[in-house]
Amino acid sequence: MKKLLSVFTIMAVLLLTACGLNGGGSTEQAASDSGKTESNGGKKTLEFWHIDPGEREKVYEEAVARFEEKHPDVEVKMLQIPNDAYKQKLSVAMSGNKAPDVFHSWGGGWLKNFVDQGKVYDITETTDKSHFNELALNNATYDGKVYGVPLGLSMDVVFYNKEIFDKYGLTPPKTYDEWLSVIDTLKENNIIPIALANQTKWPGAYYFMNFASRIAGPELFESAFNREGRGFDDPGYVEAGKYIQDLVKRDAFNPGFNGVPYDEGQGRQLLYTGQAAMMDMTISFVNNVREEAPEFEEKLDFFLFPTIPGGKGDQTHVGANTGPVWSVAQNSKNPDLAAELVNELASTETAQNYTDRTGALTGVKDIVPADEFTKRFYDVLEQATHLQMPYDQTLPPELAELHKDTTQAIFGLDMTPEEAAQKMEEKAKEVLK
Amino acid sequence: MDTPIKVAESKTVVKQASRTHKKLKNALTIGAFVAPAIIIYAVYVLFPIISTLMYSFYKWDGMGVGVFIGLQNYVDLFKDAIFWRALTNNTWVVLTSVFAQIPLGLIMALMLFAPIKGIKFFSSVYFFPFLMSTVAIGLLWVLMFDPINGIINSIINLFGVENISWLSETNTALFAVLLVIVWQFAPFYMILFKAAIVGIPDELYEAAEIDGANPFQKFFHITLPLLMPTIVSSSILAIVGSLKAFDIFYIMTGGGPNHGTELLGTYMFKQAFINFNMGYASAIAFVMFFLALAVTIIIQVMDHLRKKKGAYGV
Repeated sequence: MKKLLSVFTIMAVLLLTACGLNGGGSTEQAASDSGKTESNGGKKTLEFWHIDPGEREKVYEEAVARFEEKHPDVEVKMLQIPNDAYKQKLSVAMSGNKAPDVFHSWGGGWLKNFVDQGKVYDITETTDKSHFNELALNNATYDGKVYGVPLGLSMDVVFYNKEIFDKYGLTPPKTYDEWLSVIDTLKENNIIPIALANQTKWPGAYYFMNFASRIAGPELFESAFNREGRGFDDPGYVEAGKYIQDLVKRDAFNPGFNGVPYDEGQGRQLLYTGQAAMMDMTISFVNNVREEAPEFEEKLDFFLFPTIPGGKGDQTHVGANTGPVWSVAQNSKNPDLAAELVNELASTETAQNYTDRTGALTGVKDIVPADEFTKRFYDVLEQATHLQMPYDQTLPPELAELHKDTTQAIFGLDMTPEEAAQKMEEKAKEVLK
Repeated sequence: MDTPIKVAESKTVVKQASRTHKKLKNALTIGAFVAPAIIIYAVYVLFPIISTLMYSFYKWDGMGVGVFIGLQNYVDLFKDAIFWRALTNNTWVVLTSVFAQIPLGLIMALMLFAPIKGIKFFSSVYFFPFLMSTVAIGLLWVLMFDPINGIINSIINLFGVENISWLSETNTALFAVLLVIVWQFAPFYMILFKAAIVGIPDELYEAAEIDGANPFQKFFHITLPLLMPTIVSSSILAIVGSLKAFDIFYIMTGGGPNHGTELLGTYMFKQAFINFNMGYASAIAFVMFFLALAVTIIIQVMDHLRKKKGAYGV
């Protein structure tokens, strides 16, 4: 009996971990239950979830205040949820039809998942399409219907250290060959050409997406994703993998990149200390610099991902991503009011504040950033003919994860580009229909 | 003539009635005392086990209603190369825990009883790693293992060895994390052994000394046999803990690179919360549970047989 008891005790300890996955959800659901769209002293209530702390949150608060001024009978309850917990929390709320009236997303495949389940309110009628950057708005438009409006917009460029480039008489490369000669010169002088922190897998994915877009043009992804003839085993993708492995074999990246996490900052540290000279990253990197190494900013500059000889893509094809994108939940009791709040959260005034105070770009048209550096990103976007949203935000979760896994394996020389492409296409056939 | 028998009969009836009444009362009292534990146990242990098993028969994304697919998740699982890789890695963690952590814990505990000056101080030093949170340990070692500026590489450079990208290569990453696990958990077993050694009566050692036993004989014929029950329970803790290992791997490598350090735990997490394959993840969880249960039963049976043999009467 005693033995049986100890067996059960161990079972208990074991299963608590295994089954955390069932327990977690229901409590959160209960939590979001309370205070939802109930009238509060005769007032209507709108619930609004977002993920941004600090200055961005203040910008949203001001927009909400403007909205409440126009609608004295409405109270907006704002809730900031940290990024990592947000996706799960919103999924749970959505599945129980307890989603907040207005919520944050990144557009793309993640939002589409909810749209397909009929959980997101169609705001086509109340959205002024000319108010937004068309390419950014497209990322939350499905079958011609608008399900979200992009306040934030970001993109990835190759940052470099001006001081190092000047010292060795280098100029920002425009083509792959020029890039290679820059890399060779840097290596001869014992400087790591490109800093990469790829434990979390997404930083390396930017190189893969850029190469694929430069080689085969941005149509390749559209076609593969929409199953319109081409696939993820397209020669363009195989070629992109080969370019990456070429760079790896040339020691263009810091050694051991696949084990270095990005968030902890060791990758950025290489750049700040001048041990490395370049890094492809989203423009949020500028914010990191201002916070972590303000003195580095005067050495900081950027160029666009170089072109590939004979490639179909050019430098007006930019890797970008949207977020925050504001949407209205289908289960909202006041969808019209919620849609109005969404418009205020993406109004010209909000967007101008957002750009000027957080150093980010916005999906709202004709908002010129006051900051010099941000203004240059703005110019690039103005001239862009195509915005490539990150695959991992566009593809369904399982395929997105495989894309990042295989790309990391290509970087680690653990997998041939052909093998990776084949795996992707196999999964794509299963998941994309 | 009949009456005495009748009286006797009725007496036994009364006796029986009062006995069953007493039994019932006992059962009620016992039940009332045990109920809180049973209810908590059922709600937090039995129910999740059963519902995990149920979910594992469904294709379910965590939202809405799942589709019943029978044993398909298990069929897919046993064909999944990553699952087997994870299982192999888990086996390595188990082996390291049992054959590195426990002996090391024992050695450390024995050292604490050695007549060395200032050993008290080391008793605290040895225990430090176990006091730190796993997240802090993970980040600490990630920085120490940094391929360019890490302290570990600086140290091996002193001995003329070139930089190693510890966490970045599929063949070194597992070893690197296992090293951290041993460092973190050996102190825990040290404390268990220390307590057990204190419990061994001095008379045994005195008697052995009179018989002329040397320190090695004392260790192998007194200390080790009397520590056997502690070793068995430590092994169970180590094995079950290793099968569920998750946190340190998740923080240090995230299961990468290229699934080189993937464990059942990390793979289950990815399937559940990144790929939203709740059914598949539940199947992995159930396999984990089953393995831990099987191993525990085997160890318990072996221990039972050992005791039956009457080895040293413990």
